[in-house]
Amino acid sequence: MQVEYPKPKWSERFLLLDMLEGLKTTLRELFRPKVTIRYPEERLDPADRFRGMFRFSFDRCIACKLCAVACPIDIIYIDVHDEQREVDGKMKKLKVLDRYDIDVKRCMFCSLCEEACPTKPKSIWLTTKTYELATYDRNGLYFNMQELEYWENRPEFPGLPPEVEGGEPPKQIPGAAE
Amino acid sequence: MNAWMTYLVWPLVKFLVAFIIVQVIVAAMNWVERRLLGFVQARLGPNRVGPKGLLQIIADPVKFLLKEDIVPASAEKVAYFLGPILPLIPTFLVYCLIPFGPPPTFVAARVNVAILLVLALTSTGVYGIILGGWASNNKYSLMGGLRSAAQMVSYEVPFGLSIVGVLMMVGSLDLVKIVDYQATNVWNFIPQIVACFIFFVSMNAENNRTPFDLPEAESELVAGYHTEYSAMKFAFFMLAEYSAMLVNCCLLVSLYFGGWTLAMFGHGLTSSALRHWGWIGGLIGTAIFFVKVMTFMLVYIWFRATFPRFRFDQLMDLGWKWMIPLALGNIFVTAIFILAGQERLMYWIGIAVLGAVVYYMKPKRVHASRVSEA
Repeated sequence: MQVEYPKPKWSERFLLLDMLEGLKTTLRELFRPKVTIRYPEERLDPADRFRGMFRFSFDRCIACKLCAVACPIDIIYIDVHDEQREVDGKMKKLKVLDRYDIDVKRCMFCSLCEEACPTKPKSIWLTTKTYELATYDRNGLYFNMQELEYWENRPEFPGLPPEVEGGEPPKQIPGAAE
Repeated sequence: MNAWMTYLVWPLVKFLVAFIIVQVIVAAMNWVERRLLGFVQARLGPNRVGPKGLLQIIADPVKFLLKEDIVPASAEKVAYFLGPILPLIPTFLVYCLIPFGPPPTFVAARVNVAILLVLALTSTGVYGIILGGWASNNKYSLMGGLRSAAQMVSYEVPFGLSIVGVLMMVGSLDLVKIVDYQATNVWNFIPQIVACFIFFVSMNAENNRTPFDLPEAESELVAGYHTEYSAMKFAFFMLAEYSAMLVNCCLLVSLYFGGWTLAMFGHGLTSSALRHWGWIGGLIGTAIFFVKVMTFMLVYIWFRATFPRFRFDQLMDLGWKWMIPLALGNIFVTAIFILAGQERLMYWIGIAVLGAVVYYMKPKRVHASRVSEA
């Protein structure tokens, strides 16, 4: 298809006024604020609905396992036992969480577990504005319930284990292997 | 013994001082250029090494020195080594001839045909580029070298012709005399505004700078003539390019913008006024000179940030069909005005052209409705 351009005016052909226009534009841009964010020093605050790292509240959780059922890739592992406990002077049968682990390395942050949670407020939620999840080790992305509750003061990664020929296998977090 | 001092030792010392200052400026220009280009493109440029990224000036040469120096197996060895060195020597030699300040102390070698020598020396820079491109035994390098040769030869003509108008007005080839003439009359860029424009454009083309950087066009030729060069040899090419830029800016300032003086019609900081204060006046003159030169280096970067690259035939068109006739016409018109004894009239023409440009460049208020339409 032939594109019809407007015929250039005399001033456009001979006086190079467009070039002056270009120079003007670049000069203006020189003094404009820049868009770069110097990441480690400056950070953008994610939006309120941003799905970041999980947060878990042991006190709110009623151990109903609905989140584990809702999870499409089954990465939430829950173990529960029943316990007789005295609440308000009466003996009641309560479910007590033994284990609440999430294998975050396989998670796709779909937030279905959060939607399935029946407690109010939710006892598992993802809107934490934390996105710095990188670790040096696969096992560093497997979180148990203490870590999920207190991930903010997660301990530093101590470094990779020394590679020894025929040495001990890499350390496994207990319960990680199914 | 005295003759040895005046003719050998002192010029050498002056040359060395000028050389070191110029090298520092060239190293700094690399950082300034990357930073300013970043600013224009809404980013920050190199800002991690040292305060504001200033240590980049040291980090770059260190990196060049430590890199592996690769010579292609099928390269023509002697020519390959000569390639980066040849453009360096003439650009360094030119610094002897440029008056950085009032003449007795601040010019390494005052020659009465300085401009001719400068033109002769700078135009030999193309040999290194051709040799380097040919010796690399790489078709992209060869193409880059050939393009560079064609471009530099064709822009040499308007480059030289644009100076002729100034020479006719001043009546001398001596750079010192040209500067003094401008201090007692008007700076040459006002009567010779067309010549000044041609000089600036062809000086951009001579240095293979961005609107005319066809020899190293990344999108077509990988990196042009320095594709096969690495480490210090590549650094030499960059050094030659930036030194040539600085030389041309020095020439532009000396020819059209009053050199080290800050005076018109003999009022202000003329050479005699500066000489009155001894060596402090000389240093002030040098400072004025370098401020002007750096301004034009910034204009270079501004042009690079603004204009897209020419096509090769467009480049040749601009050189042969526009720049050369314009330069010849400028000589003709200047000759007529000089014959008629009406040089003052040229001042008014120059001022009118400058005024029109400034009027066009001034920021206009755009109505909001027009913005939304576009």
